[in-house]
Amino acid sequence: MAEQLLDQARDLFEGQIDFEGQKLVEVLVNAALTLVGAIAFFVGYFLQDIKLAVYIGLIGTAAVFVLVVPPWPFYNRNPVKWLPVGGITPPANLVVDDKMFR
Amino acid sequence: MYSSIVRLQNAFGFFTTVAFVVAAFIAASDLLSPRTPSVGVLKTTNVQVVRGRPHYYSHKKEEYAIIKFSLDADLSSLFTWNTKQLFVYVTAEWPSAGGSGSGQNATNQAVIWDSIITSPSADHLANLGPIAMKKLKRSAQGKSIDPSRGKLSIKNQRPKYQITHPTGKLAEQDNVVLRLHYNVQPWVGILTWNQDVDFWKWKTFKNNLSKKFALPALKKKDEKKAR
Repeated sequence: MAEQLLDQARDLFEGQIDFEGQKLVEVLVNAALTLVGAIAFFVGYFLQDIKLAVYIGLIGTAAVFVLVVPPWPFYNRNPVKWLPVGGITPPANLVVDDKMFR
Repeated sequence: MYSSIVRLQNAFGFFTTVAFVVAAFIAASDLLSPRTPSVGVLKTTNVQVVRGRPHYYSHKKEEYAIIKFSLDADLSSLFTWNTKQLFVYVTAEWPSAGGSGSGQNATNQAVIWDSIITSPSADHLANLGPIAMKKLKRSAQGKSIDPSRGKLSIKNQRPKYQITHPTGKLAEQDNVVLRLHYNVQPWVGILTWNQDVDFWKWKTFKNNLSKKFALPALKKKDEKKAR
């Protein structure tokens, strides 16, 4: 029971996501932060208000962090399908590093 | 991007890049706003030279010039969204006794008055007491920039600093002029001072000199008792 709880806590802390999710996060971080920076600059420039620009930049960045840092479920929609443990024997013609496995 | 910590690091790393680039754009946006500072009036109203000591226990007596002046200037175009504060100062300048032969010190220059004009975005940084601070903040309520603060109209202003010279001699000095200077201090970007040449939309600071005047003779003894 305690072990299970510990596992859950570790999973939550580590926040692992699958490969497709990692690809998505990469794009999201770059696009969203660039967008936030651009909005902050243009709103600030046209309203001639540098404090507003700073606040837009910081709040926008905080929102991007909330979006990308926790392991949201949509980053885990393509889990890796592992082979079952000891379930099947490897195929006879499996070649790794030019060596035949039997 | 596998675990939360890696995602946090990567996102923060890119945030610093974005912040730097936005700051560079803000600094560059200064070039798009024209700067046309102008001076209406800069003249002396009352000039005195008195003898005094640099500090209470000093045995050395020096001559101090007290130059009162009037100033009318429009520096409002220097206030943009990136202006943090404007430092305005008036100097007195006069040629050195050795003339142009005195090298780097051919011109004496001393500040007689200065002032910091904050932009509304920097009002909270002004070195003021609570009541004056409240008043200052209220003067720009709801405004992100307040160019009207750049309109200076000062009549018969007492100098903040009485000036002297290393020799201690200043009375009856000819060819003294007052010069108005400004220094724009932006939130991000470079400091800029008076301009001697036009730079695209930034125009030269003209008419920032007063007429030449002479410092008067020393005041007689009975008049300096108050000091």
